[in-house]
Amino acid sequence: MRGTVLARVFVRSLFLQAAWNPRGMQNLGFADAISPALDELYPDERQRAQALVRHLEFFNCHPYLAAAILGGAIRLEERVARGEAAEDSVSAFKRALGPAFAALGDGFFWLALRPAAALAAAITEPHLGLWCIAVFLGLYNGLHVGTRVWLFVSGYRRGEGIVQVVGRAHLASGTGLLKACAAVLAGAIAVRSVIAAGIGGRPFHALLVFSTIVLSAALLPRFRFVWAVYIALLLGLALGGSFF
Amino acid sequence: MHLLALALIAAVVSGLAAIERKGALQLMLSRPIVVAPVLGALFGDAHGGLMLGVPLELLFLGGVNLGGNLPDNESLLAAALTSMVVPAGLAGHGTDEALAALGFALLFPLALLGRRMERAAERRNTALYEEAMSRAAGGDVRAARVNLRGLLLPFAATAAICFFCVLASPALALLRARLPPGLVGGFAGGWHAVWALAAASAIRAIREPRAPVLAAISAAATGALYLFVRGLP
Repeated sequence: MRGTVLARVFVRSLFLQAAWNPRGMQNLGFADAISPALDELYPDERQRAQALVRHLEFFNCHPYLAAAILGGAIRLEERVARGEAAEDSVSAFKRALGPAFAALGDGFFWLALRPAAALAAAITEPHLGLWCIAVFLGLYNGLHVGTRVWLFVSGYRRGEGIVQVVGRAHLASGTGLLKACAAVLAGAIAVRSVIAAGIGGRPFHALLVFSTIVLSAALLPRFRFVWAVYIALLLGLALGGSFF
Repeated sequence: MHLLALALIAAVVSGLAAIERKGALQLMLSRPIVVAPVLGALFGDAHGGLMLGVPLELLFLGGVNLGGNLPDNESLLAAALTSMVVPAGLAGHGTDEALAALGFALLFPLALLGRRMERAAERRNTALYEEAMSRAAGGDVRAARVNLRGLLLPFAATAAICFFCVLASPALALLRARLPPGLVGGFAGGWHAVWALAAASAIRAIREPRAPVLAAISAAATGALYLFVRGLP
């Protein structure tokens, strides 16, 4: 496969969820992304349309880790086009890896890296000002973009062997470490909020913030979020307006 | 800058953020900590945007799009809040805590509306999928290109909301100017309470059994360090 075609597939994979839908989930995005590779592999339009229908089947994965499956699917399509593999091997590959990679990506990127990067940016904001945005985007995308490109290239090179490659990436152990870092940063942010509220001789504001943090951290899962927001606002309004 | 020009800027930036949030790239450019200061900078008050963006980021840190589960739409709220509060601040005495809390209290339901809008967009995308499937079955090798049409609805809906938020900003500025001093202090207290809730949400966002304990130890250490540094001559 020519490098330019692979690059076009990768760029299109950045729009994987453009038409996310409940029935096929990321199927349209996947089919659209792999289309340039199908154009290259199947000169016959009827065969190409059949391959496209194959990729319009249900597909769901984490949008970043889907790059590995996309790369692997191109490798498998090459073998199908040469008659070395059955057509349904591509579907089986996608079905087998989608849910497992989704769980891995959700845990690492959404539940660990993003909170850690956002909290690092929030804690540096009083000192760095607008540069805290660079902290957030640099920490997050430094890892995200590199991983996405690496997974796509590895998927194409290794085909079904991508499972071993991802297994050696230590995503699961990195998740625990990032969550611990995020928890430490969240504690520091909580204290910063208490101190900021008390600045200017407002000890009751500081007390309100401290109590709200402790109560909310304990009770948030049992409350509807919207109620928690308006109750907090009303408490602050009452105390700040000296209605007590 | 003329209000209409600000409204157009808000429409374009918020629309792009809406499609970046899920449909394209996902480089986190649509997160509140990015989109609020960027919009603020384009309006002429980056720090006003940053003041809104940081607590919103923490407040919605735990919102994750897992499979078919949709979180509240933090990007729409951040863009709409910045579109209304920062121009109101520029028209008055700057973006302060009272103005931020007032705007937040008025616009928070947009986060919930955003989730409904996203669900509607998904239903529309199902129609796109059916169209692509029928065209591909008929031999159309370009059928999957309808994928990009899924970006239109989130862009247009978010852009329209933020456009009108800018146009409504003079009303917010007027409301803020007419607040009695007691209520100004009250809304400032409300903003501190939002920060407190944001800090608690950030702790809850880390879905790890040890997180509250680690956060408590870190909070105690940070507090002790602060008191120690303050006590230094």
